Amino acid sequence: QRFRFCGDLDCPDWVLAEISTLAKISSVKLKLICAQVLRDLLGEAIEYDKILKLTSDAKLESGDVKATIAVLGFILSSAAKHNVDSESLSSELQQLGLPKAEHASGLCRSYEEKQSSLQDRLRACSLRLSQLGSVHWRVDYTLSSSELQEVNEPVVHLTFNVRDRECEKMTAVPVTLSANKFRVLLA
Amino acid sequence: MLLVLSAEHRAHLGCLPRAGGAAVGELGRLALEQLRRGAAPRACETAARKLNIGVDTIQHGVEGLVYLLTESSKLMISEVDFQDSIHVLGFSDELNKSLLQLYLDNRKEIRSILGELAPRLPSYHSLEWRLDVQLASRSLRQQSKPAVTMKLHLNQNDDQTAQVLQTDPATLLHLIQQLEQALGEMKMNHCRRIVRNMK
Repeated sequence: QRFRFCGDLDCPDWVLAEISTLAKISSVKLKLICAQVLRDLLGEAIEYDKILKLTSDAKLESGDVKATIAVLGFILSSAAKHNVDSESLSSELQQLGLPKAEHASGLCRSYEEKQSSLQDRLRACSLRLSQLGSVHWRVDYTLSSSELQEVNEPVVHLTFNVRDRECEKMTAVPVTLSANKFRVLLA
Repeated sequence: MLLVLSAEHRAHLGCLPRAGGAAVGELGRLALEQLRRGAAPRACETAARKLNIGVDTIQHGVEGLVYLLTESSKLMISEVDFQDSIHVLGFSDELNKSLLQLYLDNRKEIRSILGELAPRLPSYHSLEWRLDVQLASRSLRQQSKPAVTMKLHLNQNDDQTAQVLQTDPATLLHLIQQLEQALGEMKMNHCRRIVRNMK
């Protein structure tokens, strides 16, 4: 069966298996765990101890706690990736077996609040090889050189600061051009 | 399969009977810590002071034990063979029994540590991808050229490297088809026979 939040594909088996674990947690606690998982997806630090405290009532083992975080992370990020609105998400989660009354609607309300920030964050994380940080320029005027006594030519110095995605380092790429080449570049 | 202990090894282990029963337990613990975390000279000094034996003797004793345990675990020798191998050292029965117990209790853990020491090729960590369409370039306007850009993250001995690859969709489909053929080989009779024999 195809689900929109899985990108019109079948739901992965592990997600189906963990839905029953989600149902074991009370809906209030589920909403708080959702909030933590959303913080992690948005790039802030996740507070694992709080999650452990919240799941201790439902007597989940450590493997189950990690599975819960994984399945919530998958559902929320996948729904944001495929731009699913919260009502469709709610009905699809109910089809998977998540009890409607509080669990599915609570989850979807948290999703709806953060949907656009999630999508912005995912857009920023998309693959990008390198990024132009800034450009500095300087124009000099060469009066004379060892080759020719009267040169009188303008020269443009450009420095491109390129940020490498991986190491967060700025590399400077200096370029020097004569006036004609610079005009060709601008053309 | 018997272990052959060199003369130097035997000399190092020779300090054990002199040290006494409790010391053997302590040295065993130090040997396991050294296997798990690497050499700890300070721990050896503390043990030397506690047991009133020279630091060097303790060091040699611990190293001798480490070597004995790793060689036995590596070859996965049976109890009988282990007992016969240490019999040549001429220790008391009690000492032999405690050494055997030390070996049996810890050999699984030692084997898993040894398993991680094998050299490794870079292994897959994650793959990011992006689908672009080139609409125009300086030389040609109004194009429509799709391209898939991928960044393959690899792990090698806790080092992360990344490889950037770019291809057009047709080549990517061909690549996928080749990889699926490779997976399909597993289901052929030849592979099945070998896998059955290995089990």
